[in-house]
Amino acid sequence: MFNRGIRMLGVAAVAMSLIVSGCSGNTSTPAPASSGATPSQPGAAAYKDKLVIGSALGDPQGSWDPIDTFVVAWGMVASNIFDGLVDRGTDLKIKPGLATEWKYTDDKTLEFKLRQGVKFHNGEPFNADSVVFTFDRLLGPEGEKSPQRSNYTSIDKVVKVDDYTVDFKLKETDPVLITKLAGYGGMIVPPKYIKEVGDAAFDVKPVGTGPYKVTAYTKDSQVVLEAYPDYWGEKAKTKNVVVRFIPEDATRIAEFQTGAIDIMQTVPVAQVKSLESDTNYKVIKVGGPGATALRFDVSKAPVDKLEVRQAIAYAIDTQTIIDTILGGNAKRISSFQGDISFGNNPSQQPFAYDPAKAKDLITKAGATGAKLDLFFSSKSTASKEIGQAIASYLKAVGLEVVLNPVDPQALSSQLIPQAKAGQMHLFGWGGWTLDFDNTAFLLYTKGQMWNPSFNDPKTNELLVKERGTNDQKVREQAFQELTARLRETMPDVPLYQSMAVWGTSAKVDGFTAPPDDRMRLSSVVVGK
Amino acid sequence: MGSYILKRLLHGAFVLLAISLVVFFALRLTGDPVMAIMGQGNPTQEAVDAMRRSLGLDLPLWKQLFKFLGDLAMGNLGTSFRNNQPVMPQIVERMPATLTLAGAGLFVSLLVAVPVGIISAVRRGGFLDIFGRIFALIGISFPNFFLGIMLMLVFAVKLRWLPASGYQGFKYLILPGLTLGLILSSIITRLIRSTMLDVLRAQYIQTARAKGLSERLVIFRHAFRNAMIPAVTFIGLQLGALLGGTVILEQVFSWPGVGRLALDAISNRDFPLVQGSVLILATVMVIVNLVVDLSYGFLDPRIKVGGKGA
Repeated sequence: MFNRGIRMLGVAAVAMSLIVSGCSGNTSTPAPASSGATPSQPGAAAYKDKLVIGSALGDPQGSWDPIDTFVVAWGMVASNIFDGLVDRGTDLKIKPGLATEWKYTDDKTLEFKLRQGVKFHNGEPFNADSVVFTFDRLLGPEGEKSPQRSNYTSIDKVVKVDDYTVDFKLKETDPVLITKLAGYGGMIVPPKYIKEVGDAAFDVKPVGTGPYKVTAYTKDSQVVLEAYPDYWGEKAKTKNVVVRFIPEDATRIAEFQTGAIDIMQTVPVAQVKSLESDTNYKVIKVGGPGATALRFDVSKAPVDKLEVRQAIAYAIDTQTIIDTILGGNAKRISSFQGDISFGNNPSQQPFAYDPAKAKDLITKAGATGAKLDLFFSSKSTASKEIGQAIASYLKAVGLEVVLNPVDPQALSSQLIPQAKAGQMHLFGWGGWTLDFDNTAFLLYTKGQMWNPSFNDPKTNELLVKERGTNDQKVREQAFQELTARLRETMPDVPLYQSMAVWGTSAKVDGFTAPPDDRMRLSSVVVGK
Repeated sequence: MGSYILKRLLHGAFVLLAISLVVFFALRLTGDPVMAIMGQGNPTQEAVDAMRRSLGLDLPLWKQLFKFLGDLAMGNLGTSFRNNQPVMPQIVERMPATLTLAGAGLFVSLLVAVPVGIISAVRRGGFLDIFGRIFALIGISFPNFFLGIMLMLVFAVKLRWLPASGYQGFKYLILPGLTLGLILSSIITRLIRSTMLDVLRAQYIQTARAKGLSERLVIFRHAFRNAMIPAVTFIGLQLGALLGGTVILEQVFSWPGVGRLALDAISNRDFPLVQGSVLILATVMVIVNLVVDLSYGFLDPRIKVGGKGA
């Protein structure tokens, strides 16, 4: 009996030691630091050699391959690993990347001169073959399952002219193509390396030309980056960067307060004030491309009447919603795009809050007491609260709102496309190209998935006009007319442009909060 | 014994088949995975149709089902909709993290529940019993994510003794393991207390005491060992709850286990990855149940597993 007891104790001890070793076995400790900040950095000794970032967005779904993804979690980190032919940094201006210059040689040919002397992290040279390979991959069989592909279908093929010149042969005019080439799918990948190691290995051990290279990656835990000493542009000032995936708000803020992370993405609204009043931290707010609107299914009564839609716009006090529910972390918009989007008309004002006028319009339309269904995401606390606020504003002017919180995926993939999302739904939109074209085409033309019923010939005409030319002045004029037209026809009530709230330790310097979540880490340093 | 195990394995295979059918159909009620994959990119209808074709989702449901079952029979769990990588290695890679956390939770729960349960029973009605019962009640009433965040605030943010989250070594295991273990221990404490109380009233315990054995021997050799049989069954059944508990705690403590993988896969509508994760976790449960049944023979020699002469 005693022996058996000892044996059981032994089993328990082995189990515990397995637990301990299992836990410590799968680590992704960054490579040991050699010399602190790069020697070229003046006062290098004053800075730490490691920067830790807490990402709210989580893991980029297990792959760093640019063509596998559309999640912002990818761009947040991978914008430091890969480069495109052109680059859109935190100032959102397009500038040369791996291409030094470009021009249209005819309507359907866009020529790029490539940067010379650039090497991928594995030493492989960057040249015209890399560009041809990248786009053959995206547009060929390999890219069939790529969520990136649909952005680049205006490209027929990419042709090598010489080692450092390529021609993009286009099927059709695409005025937003240059911006799209700074997007995820336009990131240049190394042909030799991918052929050697295969796609699955490239997913977890990516190689690019960016200022940081990946040294370790533990899925759903963290990715470790190290400064690439041969980078062609501004060299990274902090040698090691660890990006930890911490999607849980409470956990991320706990890590931030313990000093375990230096930069925190998405400070929860409730924590903003307390962090702002603490000198150990800095809070940075930045307006992003994302926008939210209250969209209508204009085929359903009573919102089939323009007066009712106008009344709803006048009845909602959007500024109060922003100030209270969103903690002031949003900006009002007058069309369904942020103020940094090409096509935004700054002279067009949002609807004023005027409940008396709203009541009047509803009475005139004979809609007093009408019932409306409002659908919104059940997963977003903000959406739930905004839904409730809208219901109470509309009740005050004589409309009854039935709240329908639903799964966000079901809302966007089934209910809206099948016209089953009631008379109104709250809808968020990424707008990543920062050009109104993508938004307007997909939300206001007939037959598009998220536009069950709105159809206006004048809107279609203006969209054809702006799409058919690369002349940005003509396009801007068309967008001005389009935003005015949408104001008249009201397929939606544009509500607000989201603002991202970042937190950094007071010791962090050189960090610019990215409006599109694509961090640039080269110039970031952390004081000791 | 051999035929018993074979019978149970066959039974387990049927259970897994039933689970795979339920998961297959339930997932297809949750919405279109293509939009979940492409939605953020604001795709055109043609792009959506092309993606649907390439994932095989344009096929009739029965064809999708036969393909899924056929692949399953060959041990192939399919390829992730998201990263185009085979599902099996992705899950296997995460198993050590989940089993480590579940193991630590079980270890902590037994470390707490066994002494507290025994003392509560032996000192019934006393101060220690009341303390033990209050402890158990609190544990049962606490949601695990709430306890996790509270422990994190105290030990990581205030005292700075332990890291708040992450997966890099033993000290990172303490807070999630403690959270999982404390919640589970409250239920096990109550069970051990009540079975110990039953056993302590049995005649063979009075006999043991009458023989003049020391109280320690009576409790540990005679009472505790007999009280363990229902406890082991219960703990076996609780392993399901233990694995379920890891799903939430992996999220709270940024622990890269199967639970978090499955949770992400569900919100991404990554059907093959959800199917694979559920099937693997279900397989673990089937095996654990078998091991629990086999362990009765070890705890009580009178029980002959699968035999006729028990």
